[in-house]
Amino acid sequence: MFSYNFKYELKLLLRSKWIQLLSIILLLLFGFSAYNGKEKVIKREADITAAKNEVKENDQMMLQLLDSVEKGMQVSVSRWTIPTSPMVIGNYYPRVAAMQPQAMTFIATGQSDIFTHYVKPKVTGDDFALNFTEMTSPVQLLFGSFDLSFVIVYLLPLLIIAFSYNVLSSEKESGSLRLLASQPIRVQDWVSQKLFLRFFWLSLLIILSLCLTFLIFGIEWFSVFNSFLSLVAIILAYMLFWFALAFLVNLWVGDSAKNAISLLGLWVLFVLLAPSVLNQLSTTLYPMPSRTLMINEMRELKAEVSKKQDKILDNFLRDHPEYAINDTTQTRGFYHRYMASQQLVKQELNPVLTGYENQLQKQQAWLEKLKWISPAITVQESLNKMAGASTGDYEHFRKQVVDFAETWRSFLTPFLYNNKDFTQKDYSALPQFIFQPKPKSSQFVVSGILLIVSMLLFGVGFVLSKKVKEEMMLKPF
Amino acid sequence: MIRKTFIKESKELFRDGRIRIATIIVVLLIGVSIWISAQQYQNINEQYKVSKTAERAIWDNQGEKNPHSAAHYGTYAFKPKYPLSLVDQGVDKYAGSSIFLEAHKRNEAQFSIAADQTGLARFGDLTPDFMLLFIMPLLIILLGYNSFTKENEMGTLTLLKSQGISYKKWIFGKWAALFLPVFVLTVVLFLIAGFILSNLKDFGVFEWSSLLWMFIIYTTYYIIFINLILFISAKAKKSGISLVVSLSFWILACLAVPKAASNIAEDTHPYPTRQEFAANVLKDKKQGLDGHNPWSKEAKLLEKNVLAEHNVDSLHKLPFNFDAYRMQKGEEHEAEIYFKHYNHLKDQFIKQSRVYKRLATFSPYLPTRFMSMAIAHTDYATHWNFADAAENYRIATQKFLNDDFAKNSTYGNWGYQADSDFWKKLPAFEYSPTKLTTVLSENTANLSVLGCWFIGSFALLLFIKKIR
Repeated sequence: MFSYNFKYELKLLLRSKWIQLLSIILLLLFGFSAYNGKEKVIKREADITAAKNEVKENDQMMLQLLDSVEKGMQVSVSRWTIPTSPMVIGNYYPRVAAMQPQAMTFIATGQSDIFTHYVKPKVTGDDFALNFTEMTSPVQLLFGSFDLSFVIVYLLPLLIIAFSYNVLSSEKESGSLRLLASQPIRVQDWVSQKLFLRFFWLSLLIILSLCLTFLIFGIEWFSVFNSFLSLVAIILAYMLFWFALAFLVNLWVGDSAKNAISLLGLWVLFVLLAPSVLNQLSTTLYPMPSRTLMINEMRELKAEVSKKQDKILDNFLRDHPEYAINDTTQTRGFYHRYMASQQLVKQELNPVLTGYENQLQKQQAWLEKLKWISPAITVQESLNKMAGASTGDYEHFRKQVVDFAETWRSFLTPFLYNNKDFTQKDYSALPQFIFQPKPKSSQFVVSGILLIVSMLLFGVGFVLSKKVKEEMMLKPF
Repeated sequence: MIRKTFIKESKELFRDGRIRIATIIVVLLIGVSIWISAQQYQNINEQYKVSKTAERAIWDNQGEKNPHSAAHYGTYAFKPKYPLSLVDQGVDKYAGSSIFLEAHKRNEAQFSIAADQTGLARFGDLTPDFMLLFIMPLLIILLGYNSFTKENEMGTLTLLKSQGISYKKWIFGKWAALFLPVFVLTVVLFLIAGFILSNLKDFGVFEWSSLLWMFIIYTTYYIIFINLILFISAKAKKSGISLVVSLSFWILACLAVPKAASNIAEDTHPYPTRQEFAANVLKDKKQGLDGHNPWSKEAKLLEKNVLAEHNVDSLHKLPFNFDAYRMQKGEEHEAEIYFKHYNHLKDQFIKQSRVYKRLATFSPYLPTRFMSMAIAHTDYATHWNFADAAENYRIATQKFLNDDFAKNSTYGNWGYQADSDFWKKLPAFEYSPTKLTTVLSENTANLSVLGCWFIGSFALLLFIKKIR
């Protein structure tokens, strides 16, 4: 029976032009979305390279200036931009702290349109004033991006619904179900076989069109074969979930239109409503403290600090005698006071800032638990993680940058308090930022769990719909 | 004929359990979303007030200080929230709400809410605009997908045809039956919103006329959907197909086209990255007059000109502090640079807007969304407007401070300190959003695209010659 089913189903799908139509739609969708993702990655790489080249050029200029100064020549730049001063190096010659795209970055935009991919931390300024948000049009952020993850999470289920909502009901409606009922096969077996075949063909088409689009856009998926496999696994598991729902609806609900409505209702629930309700809940449960009030707090603190800068510097040097150990001149200028009070501001503001991080982490942890409510969220999260564009990835980057800013500062402050000049020899010792991507947790677990859930749904269909009575199915409309 | 069709259809809709449940769910969700938004609105407004007064107090109580130190110390401009943001939150979540105003530098708005949220936020929020723009059209599809197909399926089509009905009247009857519940629902919701808004304390600039315009926009949007759904239903062979086609249109109009538009707009008219932008500004700044640098070529030139103008031979003989004067000139020069670069950015924004308008041919969602945001003062144009106002205030503040410095001190006197009550004389930053009439006249393109959809969809209905 299975082989008959297979043969006729394929004939049916080919003659009704379903397979042809699906292949074209899938190729178009995957092609357009992969193209968009690829464009973003190319732009990101180009931006980072340009920034690094600029730093290189500036460094050349800096070395020339240093060379001239060390040889005792006159230089033609303003007094306060001569790079012998460590603060000039720290402020005018910052390093690029960049977050390079990864092999799978193009599959999901995630948070990458909100956050910037490179910053240049300076010695002055506050860590939290480092602006990590990108200069994107908010309209663009509002609408989101047509990326591969949108196609997978939003559109694929709809294709499945359109592909399978009337598997049983159309037979009923065309009257061929009576014929089928005379065959020695259970309804569940028959429906599941039909759906399985559709699942099989759709999977085949998806894998083929994925490979094809990757090939066209020159994405070297074979070099990241493991990631590619886990992408395919998660797509298939997600598809299977929707096929399982289609199976249940086909068995339990009546005619084609009702089936379609039920399935679409489920789609709206899982893809649109559940995420927005959960988001609302997470922001209500773990509200972010007000940023405007934070500004107030910071301002008051700074106002206080600026009034007693001299005292702060004295205390600071008493606490950190190591900074001024080789200083014979005892010259104290603006920067000496500034850096000391900056340190104080940083310490005092630290609890406020960690407050934000903690809230975000709590929201994130909550989401990690509740994402299982809707497979759409689960899959989106997994794709974001694979792409290295999830909230966690950007937090990881931020932390590294803040650490690097501290390294940068603590490399240069001893020069300042020792009143020591920065020289050509010190150049090679300048700290460099090396981006470490967040270690990836395997997304196969997610696919596995989705697979189990889908299988359970199929199981429920098999066990509970035993009561689907033949006569009910055969009753005329 | 119209009346009979209308009554029959209305009864049918009313008796259908699924539709009742769906409508109840939609109404409940909208209710919840309005309630949540109202809470947030009050919350944010309170914070806004606290921050604004606190910031002003910090500014006023600076004590004796050099005006230029105060300029570097700076102040903040906070973006207020407007009453209709209760209905449409627009891009507020993605645009920052506070701008730091300091000497020599124009800053971007900081701290967008979206940057402080998880990736889940990108799916959307349970807000009234989400319900009005996405879910209501879905409800319309649910109400109307089988308007005509069911006649075929129940076999009543042949009966009706044998009666010699007028298609126009029949269609109009169905149209009215579909329109009425949607219209009543929308009226009730907007009335509730208006009632809540006019009862909120300090509701600011809330005007019923804006709400009315918003109501008109949304009703037009729904009518477009009703027309299209009826058209699809008349042309489809089966209810199932009609439903799937209607839904595909919904997906295309509400999700796919906006996203594709955002990609196309970015590809064709990209923004610079934040760092690039800063680097470009810095490059231009280096070439011009720097208020802090008396030795540069430009500074020397300015010195010569000023001396010649006042007919004196030394800067000490000038009737004002030349340091402060140069500072102000530098400030003006820098403001010009920012003006140039931000104008370029604004250019990109305008070009991107044009892309969206062009693509609105494929989606009635786009003009509706833009109109709704514009009326609610939550669109990107309002954000620009606010940022520009803050920049003008910044420039005025710098002039105020530099002028005092120039007038009350002599050349070389960097130790000058202004009185402690001098700061209070600086006028407070006030921003009032554009008037409704201006908003409407600025958005004629969107209005006309929406109008085209409106007329076009009716035309489609009128040209139905045969119902399958």
